[in-house]
Amino acid sequence: MAKYQLSYFNIKGIAEPIRMLFAVAGVEYEDIRIQPEQWPSEKASGKYPFGSMPILVYGDIKIAQSFAITRYLANEFGLNGKTNLEKANVDMIADALKDIGEKIGKLFQEQDETKKAEKLAEIKRTDVPTYFGALEGILKDNKGGDGYFVGDDLTWADLLFFSQSEYYPMMLNEDVLISYPKMKALRDRINEHPRIKEWLEKRPKTEY
Amino acid sequence: MPVYKLTYFDARGIAEPIRLIFAAAGVEYEDNRLHHEKWADEKASGKYPFNAMPILEVDGVVIAQSHAIARYLANQYGLAGQTDMEKAQVDMVADVIFDLGKKMGEVLMEQDETKKAEAIKAILEKEIVTFLGGLEKIVAKNGGNKFLVGDKVTWADLVLSGQADFYGALKTDVFAAYPKLKAVLDNVNALPNIKAWREKRPKTGY
Repeated sequence: MAKYQLSYFNIKGIAEPIRMLFAVAGVEYEDIRIQPEQWPSEKASGKYPFGSMPILVYGDIKIAQSFAITRYLANEFGLNGKTNLEKANVDMIADALKDIGEKIGKLFQEQDETKKAEKLAEIKRTDVPTYFGALEGILKDNKGGDGYFVGDDLTWADLLFFSQSEYYPMMLNEDVLISYPKMKALRDRINEHPRIKEWLEKRPKTEY
Repeated sequence: MPVYKLTYFDARGIAEPIRLIFAAAGVEYEDNRLHHEKWADEKASGKYPFNAMPILEVDGVVIAQSHAIARYLANQYGLAGQTDMEKAQVDMVADVIFDLGKKMGEVLMEQDETKKAEAIKAILEKEIVTFLGGLEKIVAKNGGNKFLVGDKVTWADLVLSGQADFYGALKTDVFAAYPKLKAVLDNVNALPNIKAWREKRPKTGY
């Protein structure tokens, strides 16, 4: 029986939603973490279709691109909504989370501390309300917002959200979710999900 | 048949793969093109979940995010790959082409001519080689099929078609080293429904 192998750096990053999916589904996998010093030779080996990680290997099949991997496993494990329309809503939420995540991440590349503070203030004034406001609305529209983002069950959009939220205090200098109560409650609910709680306790502790 | 309305600028941009999917599937839709002056008011209407376009209305239900829309329609009309694994390969390839497009967009928006020339040189040496080279290998493994994944057209092929129309801005034949990938592109653009749409669609700068 082939075993899933996930390869990424020894950080949470964009692989963490994938690791959380395996945890929720209760499926075994090899959680391969490549050290920075190993990466150049790994990359040169030609093993990575687009020279990047994460990749998922399963038997003789290989998938790259974190969302392609996450969506594939979510479909396999029944964590991607029930209908095509539900799946489209999961995708839409995931893409939006990715967009705001990238904007925040890009901010961190700014070296000049003054410019960085200005950009941070700008993001908190514009992009955060746009995206988080929209996501809070989408959550509320889903039967009052006390469940999950889409449908009646957990999907990978919820896991992606949780995973990203772990960075908000560090990156935005505040827990931005205080202003978005339904999303905050969702994050807390996911934190208490037995299989996720177990994973959070046993996973390697890394800063990022 | 649901009533579809696609709203975007009067441009190909990131909406074109969606229009290509409708063409490939032979499905009618309203191709709503907003002029720039109208966008500010539209945005303020609150209709656009993330204040951005494109959006697709399906019997009035709004879906945003171009790839979420594309994948939804592709799944509805059998253009997404046959198995979950094929769908994953399609997703992977579509994401890669999109990432390359985003990178190209950044490069081409550079105002300073010297910096822009350097950035173009860098993308030709790095991202084009990594991404198109990676796609060339994937096509080579696809047993002679002139599609990116499997033996029939998928939305990943249509993303390639849409994006490839922008590669000319790099002023180099980027496909020179990737003949199999070029063969896929030519094959897809020659499909009757796609050829017909590309001939009749509004001609826009981007």
